Amino acid sequence: MSFSGYKIMVALLAAAATGCAGNGNGLDANGNPTTPGGGGTTPLTADFKSIQDNVFTPICTKCHIGAGAPEGLQLDADHSYALLVGVASAEQPTVSRVAAGNPDNSYIIRKLQGTAGISGGQMPLGGPYLPQSTIDVIRQWITAGAQQSVAAMSLDASVKAVQHFNVATTSPDNGSIVSMVVPQIVVAFNGDLDSTLLNNTTVTLARTDAPPSMDAAAVPVPIVTTVPAGNLSAILIAPRTPLTNGTYRVTLQGSLANMNAQALGTDYSFTFTVDALK
Amino acid sequence: MTNRPYRTTLRYLLLPLLLLAFEAHAEPYLAVQTGFKCGQCHVNPTGGGERTVFGNVFAQTQLAATHIDTGGDVWTGEINRFLSIGGDVRADFEYTKVPHTSSTDAFNLEQGRVYASANVIPQRLFIYVDEQVAPDSALNREAYGVYWSANHDWYVKAGQMYLPFGFRLQDQSAFIQIGQTTGINMTAPDRGMEFGVERGHWDAQLAVTNGTAAGPEKDHGKQYSGQLIYVESLWRVGLAANINSAAAGNKSAGGLFAGLRTGPVGWLGQVEVIDDKSLAVGTGRELATLLEANWRIAQGHNLKLTHEYLDPNRNVSNDAQTRYSLVYELTPIQYVQIRTGFRYSDGIPQAPAQHLKLGFVELHGFF
Repeated sequence: MSFSGYKIMVALLAAAATGCAGNGNGLDANGNPTTPGGGGTTPLTADFKSIQDNVFTPICTKCHIGAGAPEGLQLDADHSYALLVGVASAEQPTVSRVAAGNPDNSYIIRKLQGTAGISGGQMPLGGPYLPQSTIDVIRQWITAGAQQSVAAMSLDASVKAVQHFNVATTSPDNGSIVSMVVPQIVVAFNGDLDSTLLNNTTVTLARTDAPPSMDAAAVPVPIVTTVPAGNLSAILIAPRTPLTNGTYRVTLQGSLANMNAQALGTDYSFTFTVDALK
Repeated sequence: MTNRPYRTTLRYLLLPLLLLAFEAHAEPYLAVQTGFKCGQCHVNPTGGGERTVFGNVFAQTQLAATHIDTGGDVWTGEINRFLSIGGDVRADFEYTKVPHTSSTDAFNLEQGRVYASANVIPQRLFIYVDEQVAPDSALNREAYGVYWSANHDWYVKAGQMYLPFGFRLQDQSAFIQIGQTTGINMTAPDRGMEFGVERGHWDAQLAVTNGTAAGPEKDHGKQYSGQLIYVESLWRVGLAANINSAAAGNKSAGGLFAGLRTGPVGWLGQVEVIDDKSLAVGTGRELATLLEANWRIAQGHNLKLTHEYLDPNRNVSNDAQTRYSLVYELTPIQYVQIRTGFRYSDGIPQAPAQHLKLGFVELHGFF
């Protein structure tokens, strides 16, 4: 190897060694630029915002973030609540990730504690594991009903919540192809829903690629719609019969409203395709 | 009766293997120290998991400070011509301390993994399974089939696999591998296909997978991950690229990595940039680097020093994190390794979790 080759190698390796830790000036505890009314260091307390800021964002989102998040569980501030509270675990679907009021039956607690019987490893995977005092705070939040507050949302989500009642996220995502059985559909709103408005007219599910013999543009699918325990900002839509391969559309009537009587205004629809039963 | 005849037999069995096998792979620092490619010591052409016959021989004769004679029979991982097995068990005692919280210390079973290969057409076609059997319930990590060309200059792999992207480190918490950066590591396999080429000093791999970390596919988007490596005996350099196309937004990453041997020290370096558009606007643009020095003090003794750097958002100043590790690795006898070390993380003052101090003693058994 020539001397110049060595120099190139050493330069590459030296480039990898540059850099020191930041001084944190102008940043909140999660490394985001401070904004008026937001950020800052907060001690861990038994409310969702504090848990998000002190546990989910700084620790869990090292892996649980983005489209490739393990088990589809995104724990950044914009997704975590909707995908945790009252939503079945992907690893053990008979157990909710967070069962409001019942920490022992919440899969997240079992995973954090490394309880016998969990699938996969204790979280955070590979450690260091959360101190029991931190897990106890999360247990306390769940015991108290696993409430979300507007303050717990990111600034963007909070602004949206103030401006307009709307759908925050759905599972399956709009336009997605699902290669597994779909036992339930999750729709999360940016605020608590007035559940008295839920009925077979305000929430519908239809298959949109019905066989020609059915002579219909869309075939209604019978469903049961519920609000997950402890999570008033989401609905669970369970088909009465298993969804066969095909394309489906969920429609939410514009009359659905939050607890302040703010309505969606216009109908909201999203579609997904089941392609699981080859 | 002395052991001499058995030792002589072992040497006759092992030395030719070592002399004949200079085109190979291993754990990255071992690969750099020896000049091998990863596939020399692992059945997986991109490294990790079950060891080859060469890898097992290397573990007995070159890695261990002392070789305990096992008589005429030598463990090579091969049950017979068509079936081979292997495994890794890691257990440790770990101490952690985060500012403003109580320290923790605990014995942990980090992982127990078993590997099996059915070499249904020896040298050409094998079916491979990597199963994590502990702790807790079992997890399938890899399961795939590989078809090699007749002269072993290309292969096709299909199934569930780890993705090719730069150095595949044993430390899954290294900044260059965590989910916040590429998320490509040995806890996050994906389902799809990989095509690889091995021509002389050149290696190249390209994998096309679902991009869902082995979860169910949710959209039409796919993940493309690949690398191109040039390997000399004293140094190597590679380029890696990854793009995960998803309905929520594309995530892309590019990396440059290099290895160099200077006397008894093997150096690893990797620089990578990430742009994740599935995250909120203004975030998801990371930079991560690794510099690792491995000093082979003597056979069976390795001292590892690493410096890692993470800029979690290139749009924001003053938010960088660093991590330093000092790890001593002793392999007293074949198939047993004792690792002890200390990792010091540094970050912004207002984030205590970024100031983790971690000490550990690990017992690593493998075969």
